Amino acid sequence: MLKGVHQKLETQQTPAFFVRGVSPFSRMVLFCALSIILMAVDAKLNYLSQIRQAFIGGLHPVERIADIPSEFIREFKKYFSVHNQLVQENYTLKQQAFENAIKLQRLNTLESENTHLRSFLGGDMPIHPRAVLGDISHTGRDPFRNVVIVNRGSQHNIQAGQAVVDAKGVLGQVTRIYPFSSEVTLITDKNLSIPVQVERNQLRAIAFGQSGNTLDIPYLPSDVDIKIGDKLVTSGIDGIYPAGLAVATVTKINQDPMSPFAKIISTPTAQVSHHLQLLILELPELKEVERNPEETDDDEPTTTTVKEAKPDART
Amino acid sequence: MRAPSLLSVYGTLFLALLFQLFPWTGEGVILRPDFMLVVLIYWLFRAPYLCNIGTAWVAGVLVDLATGSLLGQYALAFTLTAYIALFFQRRLVLFSSFQLLFFTFGLLIFTRLTILVLKLFSGNEIPNMHYFWPVISGVLLLQLMRFFLGPITQSTSNKAN
Repeated sequence: MLKGVHQKLETQQTPAFFVRGVSPFSRMVLFCALSIILMAVDAKLNYLSQIRQAFIGGLHPVERIADIPSEFIREFKKYFSVHNQLVQENYTLKQQAFENAIKLQRLNTLESENTHLRSFLGGDMPIHPRAVLGDISHTGRDPFRNVVIVNRGSQHNIQAGQAVVDAKGVLGQVTRIYPFSSEVTLITDKNLSIPVQVERNQLRAIAFGQSGNTLDIPYLPSDVDIKIGDKLVTSGIDGIYPAGLAVATVTKINQDPMSPFAKIISTPTAQVSHHLQLLILELPELKEVERNPEETDDDEPTTTTVKEAKPDART
Repeated sequence: MRAPSLLSVYGTLFLALLFQLFPWTGEGVILRPDFMLVVLIYWLFRAPYLCNIGTAWVAGVLVDLATGSLLGQYALAFTLTAYIALFFQRRLVLFSSFQLLFFTFGLLIFTRLTILVLKLFSGNEIPNMHYFWPVISGVLLLQLMRFFLGPITQSTSNKAN
């Protein structure tokens, strides 16, 4: 009987099929359990951030190899860019430099005047953070998060929590550090919040990231003095973002009569998708270390910085 | 292209990882297929004795590490997908080319949905519809792989005669 069945099967399939070992179902159960354990360990215990950093560091050469074709195309385009275009660009850049030089002259006098006045009032001197220029290498591989990866990492003394800006305004915050790159969470990410101030009337608020490349300012009364077109700047009370940087412009206000809060939506002024360079500002170190010494040498940058930003902002 | 070797399996998987790591920017990003997953499905269909659920899990962990998401999400999704793929693997001989295409489409959708559910559990918000676009490009990629690496089901006996 058994022999007959065996013979019958042999004609149907190759014998290699039968030497399979453990059944697919038990394999599936085993590996599902393994991945659930991994998830739990990663979410709760933070042991794996070292492994992740090592992996990304080890991947650096592979990433460089993967980057070669696009780099080549970029260089190729640069090489063959038309003469006219370059002349035009040169002209506009010169004009801009000239305008900026004039503005800078005024800024210098204003700054000295400001420090002078502040010394009269006995106020704190404003901080001038130093900055590191970085290139955006790619826009992250996780479709669920609003991040960009920058080619500056722990080898370039980048720390988690540093603010990132471009020429137009605030982009976001460094949340994860790898040896040769770091992850910048954009202000439009759901996990990031930023303390802002309305430029017109100095009203303070906290803006939260929202999907669809916008920022949301919740918990403000429905009769709040905010108009469409108002500029939001950083208030600087969190100690991370220096005060006075442009963040967003208010684009939409929904006033629902049933709700005690206004729904204020704004679009960020910084343009992530338009260029490849950004500035990483240095953390104002002294105050930060005094306030929470245990958080400076933490292993998992993501959780600390995002959590850190929120309570700081609410004070 | 008779019997696929272990080297060709791991070679293409490594290539897929490279493509996954490729710094994609610009508008094309939303169409980027899940290279690792498609290559994995191809080998699960064609050579389940070389590429099994364990391989899928390892590939998932690698993708997890590369995306920088919570470790284990892609691993779990890939494991489940691999199980479904293997469950129907013996019946692939009976499938027409169109049916095979449809089956892959279903598998890719299933993986995306599993990841979506896992991401929603870990506190992400619902993305818009072009989250599912890579499924289409993924099916096209599998077609390309069938063209270049050989057909999935080896009905060689018919061809030889």
